[in-house]
Amino acid sequence: MWAITLTELKKNAQDKGLWFWTFILPIVFIVGFIAIFSGGEEMDTQALVTQIVPGYTVMFSFFIMISIVIAFVKERDGGMVARIASTPLPINRYFIGKWIPFMLIVIIQIIVLFSFGVLVYDLPLGDPLSLIVLSFVLAFLSTSWGMAMAVLVKTENMGIALTQIIALGGAMLGGLWMPLDMMPAFIQATAKFLPQFWALDGYKNILLEGGTIMDIWLSILILLSFGLIGAIIAFVSYPRFLRQSKS
Amino acid sequence: MINVQGISKRYGSIKALNDLDFSINERSCFGLVGPNGAGKSTFMKILVGVIDRFDGDIQVFNQSVKKDQLAVKRCIGYVPQDICLEETLTANDNLTYFGRLYGLSGEHLRNRIRVVLEQIGLSERAHDKISKFSGGMKRRLNIGCAILHEPSVIVLDEPTVGIDPQSRHSIFSLISELKELGSTIIYSSHYMEEVEQICDSVGFIDKGKLVEHGTMKQVLDKHRNAAIFVAKDGMVTEELTAYGDVMQTDAGFFINCADPLSTMGIMIEHFRENGITPERLELSQTRLEDIFFQLTGLRLRDNG
Repeated sequence: MWAITLTELKKNAQDKGLWFWTFILPIVFIVGFIAIFSGGEEMDTQALVTQIVPGYTVMFSFFIMISIVIAFVKERDGGMVARIASTPLPINRYFIGKWIPFMLIVIIQIIVLFSFGVLVYDLPLGDPLSLIVLSFVLAFLSTSWGMAMAVLVKTENMGIALTQIIALGGAMLGGLWMPLDMMPAFIQATAKFLPQFWALDGYKNILLEGGTIMDIWLSILILLSFGLIGAIIAFVSYPRFLRQSKS
Repeated sequence: MINVQGISKRYGSIKALNDLDFSINERSCFGLVGPNGAGKSTFMKILVGVIDRFDGDIQVFNQSVKKDQLAVKRCIGYVPQDICLEETLTANDNLTYFGRLYGLSGEHLRNRIRVVLEQIGLSERAHDKISKFSGGMKRRLNIGCAILHEPSVIVLDEPTVGIDPQSRHSIFSLISELKELGSTIIYSSHYMEEVEQICDSVGFIDKGKLVEHGTMKQVLDKHRNAAIFVAKDGMVTEELTAYGDVMQTDAGFFINCADPLSTMGIMIEHFRENGITPERLELSQTRLEDIFFQLTGLRLRDNG
């Protein structure tokens, strides 16, 4: 299993596209949107920073799905999935071995983006344990959806398109781009069905109100539930994915 | 011994394999040939454990691919038709990766990598990224990744596709070496001359059925159909009908007769007496490719 994890990490470290989606683009968005909104009088700076930094962090954490889809589809179409299935490595270990690096990448992404927020915009951090737990749950959620999509989609392009819908649609409706109370009532009601809303709600609770694990338990529970759904779909669909693999 | 017992596999309404029953001797090199879509890859996927839903069973040294899947996987090295390597990593990294997947580690793994790199002739390029490798080098490394754990059975699915003659020669030498070291080889290829050259037994598969199998000698003897080939400008069929059934082709004439060797002697004598000097006069032996066409026909098979 660790052979898979280490190799995947080595490959990802050399992937310039992943660096761009994971670190460069989110920082550009954070800087850009804070600059745009800091001109108005609707929000104070701390409220703006605690909206934009965690909001865009949550949104871009879902872009890991693109890398996961590309990695799996490439291995399926190139025969690597069948090749690995011919080794004594159990299927679940292969799956977990592939999963861990992507989770690590999302956690590193969250650390980098929050550190950027602290250093440049004086972002308050709040309770570290709650932040760590919420970040792990977010990483589990975004990667489990990525794993599910990777084994379900037929082509890379289909996966990329669906990721855009999930990441951008979820960000817009989940209140990641601007505070929900500035949006229409039906969007505010819809947001509660989206994991993005609960992730941001948890972060805001920790950053702005000094919330602890006990205060964000509902966010954690909902994100874990969404994550488990993705994980179950991924594991159940994997044998079909294996049958589709070229040899 | 590998015993294939009543293997059948369906994909919806299509019967990919239909009651395959045969055996492969230990330490032999078995060639599996057939047109596209005949079922070769499906059979190989079942043998190496990639497909696990099928009827029948395969016993690999008395272990069932259904019941003892992990044990069977440990004793098989699979070289797929596609080059399954991590392009962004070095040859050494790729071998380490596959070695670990087969449970090798530490000094033993490092020693095996050293030995395999020498066997596949890539010791000097161990630390180069394989994206810089030629097709032949990648093919050799593809084999290297499958033999690292010293498997007793090596399954090679068209390992020489798209490579230069030198690399092909190197792969043949490696297969001979592995055979001498005691491995059982299962070799699938579209190149009949390759199969004839390196395999000692052969199976023809078509439309999911095994249509012929046996040792190379048995199969060639069974379908032996020696003929005399003669070519000369201006020669006409009527000049040759006395020697047997004549078939004219663009290159010359094939004469089928009961005793080609004696008939050829008579023809040489006749030509000498009459001052006839043919451009070519030779005994034409049946090749594996002829048997392949005899058994599977000439119709194009494009259904992958």
